Amino acid sequence: MENVATGEAQRAAELPMDNDAFAGFYERSARPLRAYLARVSGDAALADDLMQESYVRFLCAARSWDGEVAGRRYLFRIATNLLKDHWRRARSPSIEEIPEELFATSPDAARIESQFLLGPALAAMRPRDRQLLWLAYAEGYSHREIADVTGLASASIRLLLFRARRKIARLLREPEAEGRQGRAR
Amino acid sequence: MIPKSCPRQSEVAAQVLRGQWPAGCVEDLRQHVNGCRACGELVLVMLAFQSARAQAVSGPAPVSAGVLWWRAQLRRRNAAVERIARPILGAQIFALVVTIAIAAILLVAQARNVPRWFSWLTQPGQSPGLHFEDLWSSALAMPVWGLMLLVFGLAAVAVLGGFVLFSDRPRQ
Ligand SMILES: [Zn+2]
Repeated sequence: MENVATGEAQRAAELPMDNDAFAGFYERSARPLRAYLARVSGDAALADDLMQESYVRFLCAARSWDGEVAGRRYLFRIATNLLKDHWRRARSPSIEEIPEELFATSPDAARIESQFLLGPALAAMRPRDRQLLWLAYAEGYSHREIADVTGLASASIRLLLFRARRKIARLLREPEAEGRQGRAR
Repeated sequence: MIPKSCPRQSEVAAQVLRGQWPAGCVEDLRQHVNGCRACGELVLVMLAFQSARAQAVSGPAPVSAGVLWWRAQLRRRNAAVERIARPILGAQIFALVVTIAIAAILLVAQARNVPRWFSWLTQPGQSPGLHFEDLWSSALAMPVWGLMLLVFGLAAVAVLGGFVLFSDRPRQ
């Protein structure tokens, strides 16, 4: 009877894609996913942890392989949910209210941010705006795809993205703008 | 605030995503972007994000795919074993309940024989030594359904024992 149970467990444990197919998919998607998580969370170590957990959950979810594009979108959705769970568990004020200082004080974050012109501007944005901006302009996702990944209503993405883009464009043009605003508040 | 969108934004975005901005696109579009606030912002933001992404994806992969593959396989296997073990636990509980019920019925049924057994034990003078003939005849005198209950009870205990042994074996 135990042999039957073990056999069934083995069959159930078979993953929806084979090792080689996964290795190829991972090779193409791991760095973009890690970049997304690191940019949105501002924490390189957390990004690594969440990235690994995202892939394990991706493989464990009994889904048939719908192709690279759908697979990648599903992966980003898992990662986005893990980020939300992390913020919820950490009792962070909320995704809207993570302070800019958090980004400035983390040495890993500072290393990542300093590599790019975009860093300081992104650090001044709210995490949800960072998510939307990264998905739209780094990954090139459409509004519908962003809605699928983030769970936000498709209709609200356009307005949220428009506001976020306007703000970050201003920060990119005048990096001191947010600092002045912050001090004035 | 209602976003003022430009009909040429998707065209501009496509050029940037394809890496054709600004050299690879037509003069007309370049001139439009210079004079259009929405498209100007779009290009500025997209170039910043595309450059950040390009830098991020050029680094080494954080862990090997094999490690994640192995972890996922282990997790799926454990989940499957748990799913299979759940009905076995149910059967164990059922066997335990049946055993207890049969034992209770048996006890109640045999309760009226207890005084007779005691009198047999406390009056050794009347039966010097153990007589198997007496024992056999008393067993035959027991009601048939009482014997059946005893047999079923023993069978249930055997089934329960089997499940307990099965569940105690280590799972890899
Ligand atoms: Zn325009």
